[in-house]
Amino acid sequence: MSGGVAGTFAVARLEWRRMVVRPLAWVLAALTLAWLAWNFTLLLGGFLAGQVQRAALPDGPGFTDLVAVPLLGQLAQLSFLVVPLLGMSVIAGERRNGTLPLLFAAGLPASRIVLGKYLALLGWLLLWLALTLAMPLALAHATDLDWGKLAAATLGLALMLAVLAALAVTCSAFASHPAIAAAAALIIALALWSVNVGAQMAGINGGVLNWLAMSTHEQPLLRGLVSTADLAWFALLIVVALALASRRLDNERERG
Amino acid sequence: MTTIISSSPPVVLQLDRLSRRRAGRHAVRSLDLSLHAGQVLGLLGVNGAGKSTTLSMIAGALRPDSGGIRLRGEDFLEHPELARSRIGWLPERAPVWAELSVSEHLDAHGRLRGLNGSTLRAARERVLDRLDLQPLARRLAGVLSQGQRQRLGLACALLHRPELLVLDEPANALDPVQAVALRGLIREQAAAGTAVILSTHLLAEVTAACDRVAILHDGCLRHDGPVQADDHQALERTFFEIAMHGDAAARAA
Repeated sequence: MSGGVAGTFAVARLEWRRMVVRPLAWVLAALTLAWLAWNFTLLLGGFLAGQVQRAALPDGPGFTDLVAVPLLGQLAQLSFLVVPLLGMSVIAGERRNGTLPLLFAAGLPASRIVLGKYLALLGWLLLWLALTLAMPLALAHATDLDWGKLAAATLGLALMLAVLAALAVTCSAFASHPAIAAAAALIIALALWSVNVGAQMAGINGGVLNWLAMSTHEQPLLRGLVSTADLAWFALLIVVALALASRRLDNERERG
Repeated sequence: MTTIISSSPPVVLQLDRLSRRRAGRHAVRSLDLSLHAGQVLGLLGVNGAGKSTTLSMIAGALRPDSGGIRLRGEDFLEHPELARSRIGWLPERAPVWAELSVSEHLDAHGRLRGLNGSTLRAARERVLDRLDLQPLARRLAGVLSQGQRQRLGLACALLHRPELLVLDEPANALDPVQAVALRGLIREQAAAGTAVILSTHLLAEVTAACDRVAILHDGCLRHDGPVQADDHQALERTFFEIAMHGDAAARAA
């Protein structure tokens, strides 16, 4: 393993360990998973109650449409709050503690430090997604899951979490205080989701604003439609956000 | 055939007209300095003289505005990754990740410096024993006293057996017994061929532990010479002369 890759994993492992021993990540995971489990039982109850009526429809919605995807939709809503809170300290916290120079002095490029921290945060978020996904999957033997649609929705959620994590890391790189980083990440994420609301209300379905909005690229995935253009949008945003964070850290090493 | 072997130890660190501005002023100006293997250099100066800025640049945590840093002849600014294995740094106030235990700290530092597996475990045990940290190994770094943090910082700096040890006020918060132990540790490292550069406010620390002393004032090197262990007063005179009349001394020079 090359020094750079080993360095990235060393940073990721350090960040993961710090996340695991802090109560914030556990409290957030416990509260949100409890909330999602409660909603899962409500969605399941509704699904079972309407089963007789839907049996008459030739091509009616199934378990995936009425339980699994809406549950993932709720996870998406929670992630707007959870990701900024989890990511706020990754760099801003190091800066406040005075430990950021320790990472600089390990001879790692800023991009490796950012990438390591991003991977740790993303790992935690993907675990959160997997635990949520385990709820509908636990009933896979007793129901007829639309695997393709569920896979597309899961991919959409994973990409959305990846973008929000990249934004959180970037805000943390720019902010002097973790709370400012969390607030900035929340505002930017909400703005990115709804930047096209005005255009939609005016009946405009194309253009730059619609392209820029996260909802434009997330909703097709939640409906089971995977397109290269949407995947490219997510990848582009992640790369741009992480590049900005790396640039900021590089400047900090220059500026002191 | 006769082979001539040079007895002079190799130059580990070479600073060439190193300069850095900080907070709108020249923190370090055109600093030239070199350090041989096994040599201990004490860096003295009043607050704001540029000691910590100099050491941060040497450690790779801060880039100079101009000038060069060479580590065993290699350009450190071109290859900052050299810091990974060759430099051990104890920053001022020894910052720690409060939520990690002492042992986890050392593991994290070791991995950042390229150690892993049995090598890392052996290195961790070695420094835990050497710095008397074994009883604190499972304690969270956040609850350590400042003196204990300082020892943890030293352990992290020594973990990967660096060629150059950069210590920023290492005696801070240490009790007299620990301060004496620190001197012993520094001399032991130097005897093993490690070049050591340490900044301090304690002149006694310099006469006791260093071979050479450099005095910075207002970012400039005002004095660089050997330390006479038995002449503490001479060092004191030189230091206060520079500290009180630095500019005048510089003009006279």
